[in-house]
Amino acid sequence: MKNNVLFFLGIFAALGLSWAGIVLGSNAQLGGLAPFYDDSQNSAYPEWMPGEAARGQLVYKDLGCAECHTQQVRRPGFGSDQARGWGERQSVARDYIYQPAPQLGLSRVGPDLANIGDRKPTAPDSEDLLKLLYAGAEGMPSYRFLFEKRHIGVGAQPSDLALNLTGSLEPPEGWEVIPSERARALVTYLVNCKTTYDYPEAVPVPPAKEGSEEGAK
Amino acid sequence: MKSEYTPTDRASRWPLLLLLISGTVWLVASGVLAVIASVQLHTPGFLAGCSLTTYGRMTQLAETAFVYGWLANAGLALALFVLGRLSGEALRGQNWAILGTIFWNIGVLAALVGVATGDATGFALLGLPKYVQLILFFSYASIAVPGILAWSGRQREVSYASQWYAAAALFLFPWLLSIVHVFLFAVPVRGVLQAIVAGWYAQAAWTLWIAPLALSVAYYVIPKVTGKVLPSYEFAALGFWALVFVGGLTGGRHLVGGPVPAWIPSLAVVSCALLLFHTFIVVLNLRGALSAGGIAAKFIAFGVAAYALGAAMDALTSFHSMAEHTQFTYFDEAQKQLALYGAASSILFGGIYYAVPRISGKAWLSGNLVLAHIGLTLVGIVMLVASLVAASATQTRGLMDPKLSFEEITLHVRPCLLLVSGAQAILLLGNVALLLNLYTTVCEILNLSKPAVFNTPTAVETHAS
Repeated sequence: MKNNVLFFLGIFAALGLSWAGIVLGSNAQLGGLAPFYDDSQNSAYPEWMPGEAARGQLVYKDLGCAECHTQQVRRPGFGSDQARGWGERQSVARDYIYQPAPQLGLSRVGPDLANIGDRKPTAPDSEDLLKLLYAGAEGMPSYRFLFEKRHIGVGAQPSDLALNLTGSLEPPEGWEVIPSERARALVTYLVNCKTTYDYPEAVPVPPAKEGSEEGAK
Repeated sequence: MKSEYTPTDRASRWPLLLLLISGTVWLVASGVLAVIASVQLHTPGFLAGCSLTTYGRMTQLAETAFVYGWLANAGLALALFVLGRLSGEALRGQNWAILGTIFWNIGVLAALVGVATGDATGFALLGLPKYVQLILFFSYASIAVPGILAWSGRQREVSYASQWYAAAALFLFPWLLSIVHVFLFAVPVRGVLQAIVAGWYAQAAWTLWIAPLALSVAYYVIPKVTGKVLPSYEFAALGFWALVFVGGLTGGRHLVGGPVPAWIPSLAVVSCALLLFHTFIVVLNLRGALSAGGIAAKFIAFGVAAYALGAAMDALTSFHSMAEHTQFTYFDEAQKQLALYGAASSILFGGIYYAVPRISGKAWLSGNLVLAHIGLTLVGIVMLVASLVAASATQTRGLMDPKLSFEEITLHVRPCLLLVSGAQAILLLGNVALLLNLYTTVCEILNLSKPAVFNTPTAVETHAS
């Protein structure tokens, strides 16, 4: 290669090609994705998350939860996502349009959380999740720095927020464990992680059968 | 071989050594962080009490220190070394490089502090909070100045493969960084588009920045140490352009089956397969490394083998049927370590063993530390990748069986994860050996009480080998 200008233009074109193709191309396709308006229910989906849940997503991001948890359910038949009760349908791009920082994740050291607020057969509630965060589990660290262990004042009532802990985790007499604002935001976010609405594009296409009309439906 | 040992090398001694030493310090730092993170994976309670050291942040810290601390500094040092040597004269504009290196390292430190205190971006290979990106952009451009001057002002009109790869890496990284800065931080795109842009950056950072830095070193050192023209060199340009044009299109590799348009992972399958053509040419060109002697050639031969193996694994696992099993498991981590450690770092180590005696004018002070480094590194990388693959096999079986809970999967994977920690510790030891040796060798330059011993070129070679 002798010509510097040609060389420079060549690598510029190469980068521009992949940038235009993947970044601009996908943006053109999905950038204007609108919520889906359901006439029968008279409302649009996805719904906005409550403000506290949106803040919780930022806590989720800055603690690096996505290093171990994905938030993308794959279609039935692709892996065991459906069998584990993570979601009846696959995640679609529309699920994420209102999320400030979607956390798709790359690793499943722990379970997928895209639909944890509606997990089958039973979804954990806020209290379960707070206890899990406080205690940790096999393979998951405890996040005690998100809680405050404090003295209950003399003659004062315990806080409504105090965790109802039992066994070895129970704080000593006169003490209580209070989740911090960050812990509460995180948990509000998690219970709001729901992909309950079936968008037309998310309904799994049944495998087409030879000579039957089912597949075309 | 008299020209092998030139005063032009010594003219650019300090900027290059500054880059190399800062890179090696970051390498050791990232090793410590990686050991902690790998221990947390099998013993989650380890250092979990503090938000600064929670696992999610620790892994990002280790990765950022490794990529932007070690690979960037060392890769840039060697790219400047290669471009300077092939330009035929001493590097010009060296103060730009020194200034850039200082600010680059301040930026990386600020990035680590940012990630540890809650500004993690959550994007793979992009653990750089918004506010350090501009510093890094300008300092990278500043470090690149001597390289670009050497490239455009070269005495010979023709240029060589090692120059193309080095010059491409110098140009492309600032573009990449500025694009993701705009699309992910300044005016963030919506929803899953963030994951698509982040995936594109991660793949492009590997194929258009880190891999070219390493290949530049390999293409320079191998003909030097073998003393032969590279076989099938006429295909090298084809290999280069194949990488540059196809590399960025592999961005959807991790999004198979995800909530993105299907053409993105499909494009990645095609591009990963096309990249095998590039890999084939690289192996064809550099196959002489396998039979060459010396530490530099051994490291590079190992690195080229890891590069080829990694490309094959990338191509295979981008297919739907393979991804169903490997996606979201430790296999991804195995591929990343094989690429960043096995391929890129090994080749850079080789480049360091070749370059340091020439730019410092001193032979490596301790041959035993050199041997310790290569032994520990090669064993460590093989052990790391093999135990991650073994872990992923167990993990995949568990994940595919919906009756197995995550507690049970964790217990089954644990033995493999213990081995991963062991491998990280071995790698850390090896890198401490490199840092110690580099530091004492560089101190030798400053040691004025001792008259400088100028080894003959061949003596330098044999001592380093």
